[in-house]
This record gives sequence, structure tokens and C-alpha cells, in this order.
Amino acid sequence: MNQFAYHQQQMQAPMPMSYQHDGKSAETRNLKPGELSTGTTIMAIPFEGGVVLGADSRTSTGTYIANRVSDKLAQLHDHIWCCRSGSAADTQALTDYVRHYLSQLAIETGRAPTVKTAAHLMRRLCYENKDNLMAGVIIGGWDPVEKGSVYNIPLGGTCIKMPFAIGGSGSTYIYGLVDSMYSEGMTEEEAHTCVKKAISHAMARDGSSGGVIRTVVVKESGNAREYVPGNALPFGP
Amino acid sequence: MSEFTNNTVNSVKKPVEETPSGFSFDNIHRNAMIEQMSKQQAASGSNSSYLPQATKTGTTIVGLVYKDGVVLGADTRATGGTEVADKNCEKIHYLAPNIYCCGAGTAADTEKTTELISSQLDLLRMNTEGSQSRVVTACTMLKRMLFRYQGHVSAALVLGGVDVDGPHVYQIYPHGSTAKLSYTTMGSGSLAAMSVFESGYVDGMTEEEGIELVKRAILAGVFNDLGSGSNVDVCVIRNDGTTKMDRGAVQPNDVTPLRNAINRSDKLNMRSGTTAVLKSSFKPHSVGGVTLADVTVTDMET
Amino acid sequence: MASSGSGYDLSSSTFSPDGRIFQVEYASKAVENAGTALGLKCSNGVVLCVEKPLLNKMLLPSSSRRIHTIDSHSGVAITGFVSDGRQMVNRAREECSNYEETYGTKIPSKVLGERLASYVHYFTLHGSLRPFGTSALVASYDPETKQHSLQMVEPSGVAYTYYGCAAGKGRQPARTELEKLDVHKPETSIDVREGVKQLARIIHLLHEEGKDKPFELEMSWVCEESNWEHKGVPRDYIKEAVEWAKKDIEEEEEFESDEDEEMED
Repeated sequence: MNQFAYHQQQMQAPMPMSYQHDGKSAETRNLKPGELSTGTTIMAIPFEGGVVLGADSRTSTGTYIANRVSDKLAQLHDHIWCCRSGSAADTQALTDYVRHYLSQLAIETGRAPTVKTAAHLMRRLCYENKDNLMAGVIIGGWDPVEKGSVYNIPLGGTCIKMPFAIGGSGSTYIYGLVDSMYSEGMTEEEAHTCVKKAISHAMARDGSSGGVIRTVVVKESGNAREYVPGNALPFGP
Repeated sequence: MSEFTNNTVNSVKKPVEETPSGFSFDNIHRNAMIEQMSKQQAASGSNSSYLPQATKTGTTIVGLVYKDGVVLGADTRATGGTEVADKNCEKIHYLAPNIYCCGAGTAADTEKTTELISSQLDLLRMNTEGSQSRVVTACTMLKRMLFRYQGHVSAALVLGGVDVDGPHVYQIYPHGSTAKLSYTTMGSGSLAAMSVFESGYVDGMTEEEGIELVKRAILAGVFNDLGSGSNVDVCVIRNDGTTKMDRGAVQPNDVTPLRNAINRSDKLNMRSGTTAVLKSSFKPHSVGGVTLADVTVTDMET
Repeated sequence: MASSGSGYDLSSSTFSPDGRIFQVEYASKAVENAGTALGLKCSNGVVLCVEKPLLNKMLLPSSSRRIHTIDSHSGVAITGFVSDGRQMVNRAREECSNYEETYGTKIPSKVLGERLASYVHYFTLHGSLRPFGTSALVASYDPETKQHSLQMVEPSGVAYTYYGCAAGKGRQPARTELEKLDVHKPETSIDVREGVKQLARIIHLLHEEGKDKPFELEMSWVCEESNWEHKGVPRDYIKEAVEWAKKDIEEEEEFESDEDEEMED
């Protein structure tokens, strides 16, 4: 018998993979052992002529904080940014790919890519590799077609354009808060304040979110990075 | 042949049992059962388990940026299970003349990963007219490789070096995620080392302050983490391109005095000269055939 | 054949000593003998027009198409070897759907032209391949920039963007006529309805009754009126344009003959 012996294969028990609800968030439940997770609060709100993106700065392995000052906001192109949540390795690889594709596209077309295109590329990667990825990302930015816009790409790899988006394990704590704070046609000021306040509240309640708040304001004129230190969070009424 | 046929009557000769060639999957079912049972046991709160717990390789490695460069540090213990396999191993690996990398995890993986990337960096330098390697390049190459192996290459790294953009320290996890930091620790002793860094690190330290802090951080790992031990290795990479590798910068576990304190009898401890030298002679070494001296070297013509 | 190529014309992978690729030039020749195709970029859209010779009295008019829709916002007019052209059309359709599948937006006009040109050019690089005997006029609209454009892809694998372009038998006089329209200046630009009339006029002007074969006009546009989609010009309007064109040509001839008479005086 000069071949692989599979004679006992049918006796194999199905791969023991249990999905117990152990109180962990969806983002952290399916991580491989030892894998870094950006157990996270991320959000993005567009305003007239731009968009504000924000994130906390905590990266954890289980109960240990691997990085307390991480930057979960990644720049994909001149006016396109991305908030990462889920596996740190996966989301870093994804943003690296999308950044690469966008720069190639910009050269071929001779113009800046749209936020929609960036979101579409990210969606393709997330959807087609969904079995091997743990990534929930929010893409936001400015382009001449839609001005400020936000796309949400949660775990399964769907892509939805949203009036605003929140994500990560901390987001579950602030749905109500953000719903009550958000209104259509916010100014840059209002959107920025809203992002900082919402993330502060998520960081207070979510164990996997914390550190500082990092934000970026994306406008046609450029990007403005900012951060709020952990001892000056706009928490409370 | 029906199942009621009596085999023994028809065939007196018992057939020789054939060993199947190729992979054997015989134990898969058994292993799955054991795993399932140990899960059940764990759920019922019992401490004993069917499956032995995998032991982790322990290490303390650290890196920080100071005023004029970076300082990397590592302990020198290598473990195999609960046993100390090597008391003085090297965990600070060379990547490029201006870049070094500390490795934690499976020793073979960190060794071979850094070796491979070092070779790729060398080739890259040759292809780019010998321009200096950048730390971010090394970081990207490492993260790409580790991500490709989806965490199966068990290498947790602290990458440090200087280039045209100044000094840099990166942490790289086995799954391929990276972070650029001004100080970082990794390995099983990282918690102990981080507590030293968090209380002692300040921006713009001098080289002496940096080295001192790194030593203290590694010692914290050596003394408080079972997986780390033996000596402290320190490597300094300065902005001017010079490096200083200090193997055994601190040796808190030096056993030589203890060994010397043991009094062995003279029968065991023979002094030199105990055996008389009757004669000695020297012979030039020759393997035969052509030696270098026989070859006439001529200049290469252009 | 020794006189024309001296053996340098057997393969598109061979240059002649004076730096020409004869196979590509022959492919261009194939286009030069086919029906005239015209394209015109107007103020509010692009018009494509092909003179389709009726080779056979028994042929059902409108049975073979020379203008094809590539994507909702773009169309291609082909002339030369129609079957080669259909291959290009298929490729253009693939490029459009691939781009949209990958990037989620419509392919920019320039990118479509360049990718189609790259495809055509590939066939001029290998000895085992035959270059395309077709020129393609691409009319397209980009919803992202809200710009419309006209390009022509030639057998050599180049693609240029035009205000007005012509390929096929009557291309030289047609280009002269297109230049007279002055559409490249914004102040003298015409709208698509006027453009359709002018293209019909040019085709009829170049056509020599009796000498040339009878033909059918095929016209399409991508314009404001068609909601920036690639659509055939309504039959009624083509008919109207042709009638106007014939009348205009007649008047012009009369005027010219009058002038001639005056000159004699």
C-alpha cells in the first residue's frame, strides 16, 4: 500500500472547536492563543467637509496590556484613514495591503482614490479571507465626490456606508450615548467633541479599552492628529 | 464472502499483518477524545488534567531609546521544559551593522528568523549600492514573515537600531503585529521588566542611564521570573554607527567562587606537572597536494 | 513581396532596418480600407458614428453591429476587421467589470483607454500573434469627475484622447471636416444634437454615390440627454439628421457651382 493511509479518517471526531459564550466580546473570542487583540473602542463621524476618526490606545494579550499607547488609526491615503479593531496582526496586514493597492491605483488613474474605493478594497480582503481573519474596521475620509464619508466593515466582511460608525468591544457601552449625542449636520467642533466624549465613556466601562484617546480630523486641506491624555478625559456629564 | 463464513476453516494460514506505509492517523481519534475529556474535567473544576500542560520557554528581553541611540538587553537562560538547557545563551541577534534584535520564544525560531532576515537585509544592501539598512525595513520584513506563518513561528522580538531617521525600537509579536515604542519589554519576564521601565524611564537619558535601566529591567526578570535567569547581556547601538555588545554585563549567578570553595582532594585535583613530559617535537601541518604556497598569484587583468 | 518587406514583414516581433514593424503597419492598412468611423466630443456629451457598408442586397440592415455598449456609461465603435473588434469589445467589457468588482467604482475613461491599448499592444509584441486589424473609438463618461471623453485605440496599441477623431476609409477628409467644426474651443463647441447632424453630414459628404457601396449609418451617444448612459441615437433623429445633411450638402454644391459661374464672369 504505497499511499497515505486514511483508513481511520472517517472515525475522526469533528475538530473540537467550541463556541462558548464565556463573556468575552466577539472580537476577542476567536483569537488564537497569545494573539494580540486591539480590544478596542473606535469611531468615526463625518461632518460638512470632512470626518473625525477616534480610537483608544490599548492593545492587550489576555489580561496583560501589551501596549498602552498604540495607534489604531492608520492612514491609507492622503485623505483616507482607517480605525482598526480585532487582531492587531490581521488589521495591520490588511491596512498594509489596502495602502499598497490604493497607491498603485492612484498612480494608474492619476488621481486620488475615493473613500468608497478604499472601503471596497478592504471589504474584499475581509470578506474573501473571513475564515482566517479577525478584523472589524471603520474607514473614513474626504474625497471630492462624497466629501466626508464613513464606511463600516464589521467581522463578516460586509461594507456599509453609515452616517457615523462605532466599533470594537467598547462600542457596546456607548450606543445609547452616541445615538443621543449625534445629530445630522454636525460641525467639525461638535463631531470632534462627540468622538472624544464617547470614547472616554467607553474606556471607563470597557476593560479592554483605555489609555489615551487618539483622533484625526480629515479635511480637504489636510489631516490634523490630536490626542487626549488619560488624565484629561472628557468623562462625565 | 458472507460474514457468517468461518474464516479459520478455509484458511489455516493466518495472513501476515501488513504495516501501512505513509502517515498514520491512528491517534487522531484518541487525541480528540483525550482533549474532550480534559475539557470536561476542566469545566467540572478539577485541577488534574488528561493533557499535560505545554510549558512555555521563558525569557526577558528589553529595548529602549536614549539620547544618542538604543540599548537592548536580554537574559541568557534557555529552557527545555522545566530544565535549564543553556545557562549562557545569546538572545541578542545581529541583523545588520546598525540593527540588532532580541528574541523570545522558541530558540530555534528566533535564531533562524533573525538569521534569515539578516541575510535578506545583506542582499538588499548589496542591491542598493551598500546604503545603510533601515530599522523599519527590518521590522516590515520580520512582520511579513511572521504574519505569513500565522503565529506558528514562535518569535517575539524586540528590534532596535539606528538609521538616517535616528534611533528606533520596535516590538514584534509572533502573529506579525508590530508597534514602534520608545521602550518595550517582551517574553515571560516582560511584566517584571516593564515595571522597572514604567517607573524609571525618562525621555533623553544618557547612555550610562540607559544601560543602567536596562540592566535593572533584565535583573527584575532574572530574579522574579522562573523562565529567565543567569546573566544580563547588553547591546548599545549609537547614532554615530558604533555598537557595543556587552556579553555578561551583569553576572549575578556566577558560580566560580562557589566551585572554587569546594575542597577536592589532591588525588582528584592534579596540579600541572604531575605527569612528566619526556619529549616534545613540532611537525608542520600538511594535508598533501597543492598548498597555497605552491600557487603563483597573478594580478587580475582588466 | 520582397519589394515591400524584404523578409522584415513576416512577424511583428521583427523590426526592419529603418525601425518599422511592417506587420503593425499592415494592420493599420486593414483599418484604412474599412468603413469610416467618426467620434465627436460635444459640450454635453460624446457622439459615435460608423458608416456601415451594405455588402449584400440580401443583408438585413442593422444585423451586424459596429457600435457596442461596454458599460452603462461607455461605448465603443469599431472599424476594420469587425471580428477583431469584437474581441476588443469583449476585453473592454471585462476590464470594466473587473475594475468595478475590485474598486467599487466605475472605471475612469483614461484607464479604460489605456488598458484596452495595453491589450492591443500585447498582440504587436509576439511573433506568434497577429496584431488587431481594428481601430476602436471609445466614448465614455466618468461619474466620479462628471467628465465625458473620447479616445481612439489604434492597431499599434496607442490610445489618444480627442475632441474629434476618425478612422477608416474616409479618415483624412473627415478629419479636415471635423477640424472645421472648431469643437476644441469652448466658445465654438456644439451640443450633441448638432454633433449628430454634423457627423451625418460628414459621412454623406465623403460618400460618392455610385462609386461607393450603399451604406447604413450607426450612431450612438453618451450624453446628458441619455442620462450619461451609452445609448443609440433615436432612429427618428438619425433620419432627421441625414435629411438635413443631404439638403445641406446639396445647397453647398449649388452655392459652389454658383461661385464657379461667378468666377467665370
